[in-house]
Amino acid sequence: MDYRVNLAARMLANKRGSLIGAVLAVSIGILVIHVNFVIFQGIYDAIIRDMTEYRFGDIFVSHEEEATIERSHVVYTNWFERVPLVKSATPRLSGSADIEFRSMGKFNEEFDVPVVGVEPVSDILASKIHTTINEGQYVYARNSIVVGETVAEDLGGVRVGDNLKLIMTNQGGEEVSKRFVVTGISKTAGGQGFDTSVIIHIDSLRSMLDRPDESNSIFVKLNEKNPEAAIDIRKQFLAAYANDDLKAQTIEESAEATLKGFRSGIAMINLIGYFGMGSSAFAIVTIQMMLVNSKTREIGVMRAIGAKRKDILMVFILQGMIIGAIGAGAGTGIGLAYTTYAKETNMQFQGSLALEVNYNWPKIAETALLAFFLAMLAAIYPSYRATKLQPVEAMRNV
Amino acid sequence: MSDIVLELQNVSRIFGEGDAQVKALDDVSLSIRRGEFVLIVGSSGSGKSTLLNMIGLLDKPTSGKVILDGKETTTLNDGQVSQYRNEKLGFVFQFANLLPDLTVLENVMLPQQIQGSPEDIRQNAIDLLIKVGLEDQINKRSNKISGGQAQRAAIARGLVNRPTIVLADEPTGNLDSVTAGKIVKLAKTMAKELNQTFIIVTHDRHQFPDVDRVITIKDGKAFSGEETTMEITA
Repeated sequence: MDYRVNLAARMLANKRGSLIGAVLAVSIGILVIHVNFVIFQGIYDAIIRDMTEYRFGDIFVSHEEEATIERSHVVYTNWFERVPLVKSATPRLSGSADIEFRSMGKFNEEFDVPVVGVEPVSDILASKIHTTINEGQYVYARNSIVVGETVAEDLGGVRVGDNLKLIMTNQGGEEVSKRFVVTGISKTAGGQGFDTSVIIHIDSLRSMLDRPDESNSIFVKLNEKNPEAAIDIRKQFLAAYANDDLKAQTIEESAEATLKGFRSGIAMINLIGYFGMGSSAFAIVTIQMMLVNSKTREIGVMRAIGAKRKDILMVFILQGMIIGAIGAGAGTGIGLAYTTYAKETNMQFQGSLALEVNYNWPKIAETALLAFFLAMLAAIYPSYRATKLQPVEAMRNV
Repeated sequence: MSDIVLELQNVSRIFGEGDAQVKALDDVSLSIRRGEFVLIVGSSGSGKSTLLNMIGLLDKPTSGKVILDGKETTTLNDGQVSQYRNEKLGFVFQFANLLPDLTVLENVMLPQQIQGSPEDIRQNAIDLLIKVGLEDQINKRSNKISGGQAQRAAIARGLVNRPTIVLADEPTGNLDSVTAGKIVKLAKTMAKELNQTFIIVTHDRHQFPDVDRVITIKDGKAFSGEETTMEITA
């Protein structure tokens, strides 16, 4: 081993307090970035996950200008389902309704409640909204209704088996009503699903709205997450139905409005994390300056026995590299332990949506390398100061 | 090869400026021959440490020349001076000044490691440690051995590069009289065995009764001989 590496390591090992302080500074900088990533990127990814699974799918088809697609959804869903990468495609129609509910003689009413019409068989394949039913079961018949938990509470405590009356205005302007039996209550973490809506069979909604065969959107789910494939399939679909004035968006596009704010927030939080890492570099500068000051005598002796300035520079830069390597290793290790914990426990905060935790290896490596180089950079000034010590001055302490 | 290994020609060293000027060395000229065991004596503040710094290339004279092993050193740059110190000089300090983070062996190996010597550095160092009687201490941390042992290790470190001159600054100043006597004896033995030039700076002439030559420093001037018999210019 080169004597400078040996000397740098020994000097640090014999100044454990300084070593631990400097390593902690680097580790904490990395840990802050890991925690930020797990929490904020986790929330962002969780929102995308839930939006993909409940509202938009991997590809979301709607009309370019109109609120509804008049042509039968069967044409489009059949096209999608012929694509091997597509798991399922399902139509959705939405409207709003006033809801009346009588319970133990008490009359409850809610106005303008969003109503989502689904085709149960294909919806179960395409979306995961059916998994949010925490009581009862999903829509299975034309008179069954799933009530979002918030709506259920607002109506005074709707339970499975209760009877609700939906009142809507059809496209002809006439008021229509229909009774439904509650088959399920839907609840999602963080309210990312249809907690403030009700879900009924799409044919019932079409009938009430007098919009036979119409849908608002087609929800397309791929076999696995594959953004490139989604873009390709979208292009092919739009080319196949170029005259239908349809709009097909990937999840990133369809959820753009919601996600834009989050992205800025994540960028800001990451900036704070990197600022923290920068602050750790100042801590290293301070600690290394203390090390240099405490090693004046040794520097003088080394210079006297022939060490050149570059040798002294190398010893202290190597110390920065050792601090950086240990700090980056420890910070990454603790950060990964935290990430694994968050992933294995489906971490969530006070009932909000479970974080979508991923190991972003390029980012993990980038953070560790950045911390290492910062520690090395931080060592340059103290090392330079060490080289400026004239042997005769350093020897005065001898 | 010239027999003179060190020559100082009219070396002066002035510290400070204007009225605060202090002339630590005043027109000192001296020469040392290969294999000589030379004692530089003088009272505190006489300028002997400044002289040692000049000889050790740790400081540059205000005027005059320091010629080491035939080469004028005052014109060398910092890197060249470091290399010259490493190759031509061995240092033994008052407090040994081994690096406390290293073992005794690593301390002795250090000058050769700095030099990047192609020799078997480890074996050279071990051989020297055996010669100075520290074979059982080689793997101990240098701050875990006694003062006398540390000074022996320092002598081994000073000799490991086979320098032209070994400079010893008060090598016994921090030791009890028995240990000091052993160190003096060791230095003499090594000097004789290796035909090694030793320049020892001390304020205590009596620790070194048997030397080749004594140079006395007084008020920045160098005199040949002891204070009672000294002649100007050594």
